[in-house]
Amino acid sequence: MSVGIEHYVLLSMGLFCIGLFGILTRRNALMFLMSVELMLNAANINLIAFALYHGDLTGQVFALFVMALAAAEVAVGLGIILVLYRNFRDVDVTVPTTMRW
Amino acid sequence: MAVFDLPGWTGLAPALILAATALVLFVVDSISPRSTNRAVLAGISVTGALASLAVAVWFIAAGVGQSGLEGLGVIELFDGGAEFAGGSQFVVDQMALYFMIIVAVVTALVSVASYDYMDGHTYQAEYYSLMILAATGMSLMAAANSLVTIFIALELASLPSYALVAILKDNRGSVEASLKYFLIGALSSAIMVYGISLIYGATGSLQLDAIASELAAADADDYAYDGILGLGILMLIGGFAFKTASVPFHFWAPEAYEGAPAPISAFLSSASKAAGFVIAFRVFTTAFPLEVTAGLIGIDWTWAFIILAIVTMTVGNFAAATQDTVKRMLAYSSIGHAGYALIGLAGLTVDGGELVMGAAMMHLLVYGFMNTGAFLFVALAEYWGVGRTFEDYNGLATQAPVACFALGIFMFSLAGIPPLGGFWSKYFLFTGAIGVGSTAMLVVAAALVVNSALSLYYYSRLVKAVWIEDPLVDRDALTQPTGLYAAIVFAAVMTVVLLPAFGPVSETAIEAAAAVI
Repeated sequence: MSVGIEHYVLLSMGLFCIGLFGILTRRNALMFLMSVELMLNAANINLIAFALYHGDLTGQVFALFVMALAAAEVAVGLGIILVLYRNFRDVDVTVPTTMRW
Repeated sequence: MAVFDLPGWTGLAPALILAATALVLFVVDSISPRSTNRAVLAGISVTGALASLAVAVWFIAAGVGQSGLEGLGVIELFDGGAEFAGGSQFVVDQMALYFMIIVAVVTALVSVASYDYMDGHTYQAEYYSLMILAATGMSLMAAANSLVTIFIALELASLPSYALVAILKDNRGSVEASLKYFLIGALSSAIMVYGISLIYGATGSLQLDAIASELAAADADDYAYDGILGLGILMLIGGFAFKTASVPFHFWAPEAYEGAPAPISAFLSSASKAAGFVIAFRVFTTAFPLEVTAGLIGIDWTWAFIILAIVTMTVGNFAAATQDTVKRMLAYSSIGHAGYALIGLAGLTVDGGELVMGAAMMHLLVYGFMNTGAFLFVALAEYWGVGRTFEDYNGLATQAPVACFALGIFMFSLAGIPPLGGFWSKYFLFTGAIGVGSTAMLVVAAALVVNSALSLYYYSRLVKAVWIEDPLVDRDALTQPTGLYAAIVFAAVMTVVLLPAFGPVSETAIEAAAAVI
């Protein structure tokens, strides 16, 4: 085994930071969703790598749950983005600023 | 007693009843998809919430979670059998039942109030079933005893909430609020699950008791995982801060509460906040014992909560004082109250702290009535269509004295004026914080007093507008919607009645806190 646990953790941290960077810089709501997916998948890499490292299956099973929850979250998120588009004719997250209604 | 004969899984009955209620609502919806029969739908959800409340009260009265001779002991569920030493995924103790009661009460109040508020809305069944599903998630959060079940229950509470905020599909404010709530929620749950993965890496376990025993067995002088453990804990705090609307993840709260339908704002700011606190209490008392964790990561995690408590209550109250619209003021005040409840975690010490944590639990119960009531009054004002600013509320008391009297009770209780419920919980928080004895906790107690004094300014401003000022424009006669009135009056009565009943409540809360510490 030449690939140690630290490589997995570095990979997942990199992925997490890419996702976070995407959230902080993108204005398109869909890109925002994709960035969140990247962050969730970074956690999945961690969970599976640590499950192998500890010789324990809990992490792998939890990773499956996280995937299912991520799918559910995207489903709700796309619904919200759809009504956002219907109301504002745009999916730019900086456009809706009507809160002082 | 009969409880002895019930199988163990019935310990989750308060949550299971809510889940069954949601399914019944789905069945009704599938039989008549376009039904706008509000009486049936609201009736089903109120019945479910009250049944859940009754069972939770019965369990806590029968002694579930109490140790000793007359108690029935803590119910541990899904521990994988005797050969598997992983510990239980759910635990039904006094703290779990206590928070299940808060969630069920708020759900019942909000369901009753929604009967009038959602009048004329197309998606009735969807509204009630989403609300009951979110309540199921919050109820399960109270009993979750593993990072897996905590995360799943948290998502079960969050996902329906995002949709509920956007339920007024053609209302720009509602959609915008939902978008902001969803974006920050998705970000914070991603951060939280990454924190969970780091804690799993450091300890090799996701069950809270197993994490604690793993940490206790670790060698403090030669511990290799201190970095990822500390980072993991920090990221977990981020997830809790979102759910409880505390700094640094509080930005969503004013927007989401202002844009959402007012009953949903009441639901989110009371029940959802309480559920966020119960998981924070459980994780930090069970999984990360103070002494052991401080030895491993080199810093005491109560410091994080001391800072968060002070910053959260100050930010919330100062921002609330500058608002023009009533709903936004209440939203910021709700952030301030999250800061008060955070004292419960900030005041924990190695050999105690049940008094502060019990006080925080009491505050969340009283808050469940007074804050829900205050938001329901806003719902009533929206139902009348009187407008959103303080000036628009001028002189309402001449037309609706009963509701405005209730509003006065809520406002003075939120501010912590002596004879009302809110005073007692703040008093316990204050004495508890002083009792800890450290300088930092004295600062926290001082911040609590200063902020409460400041909050009196903006709460009494609303009372003054309603009772003393003259209306700016002439209004037509105001109707008296039965459901909203019933919910508001009940919440007001409970805010007052909790005063003589405070003995048993505080006893239960402190006992429940002592059991988990």
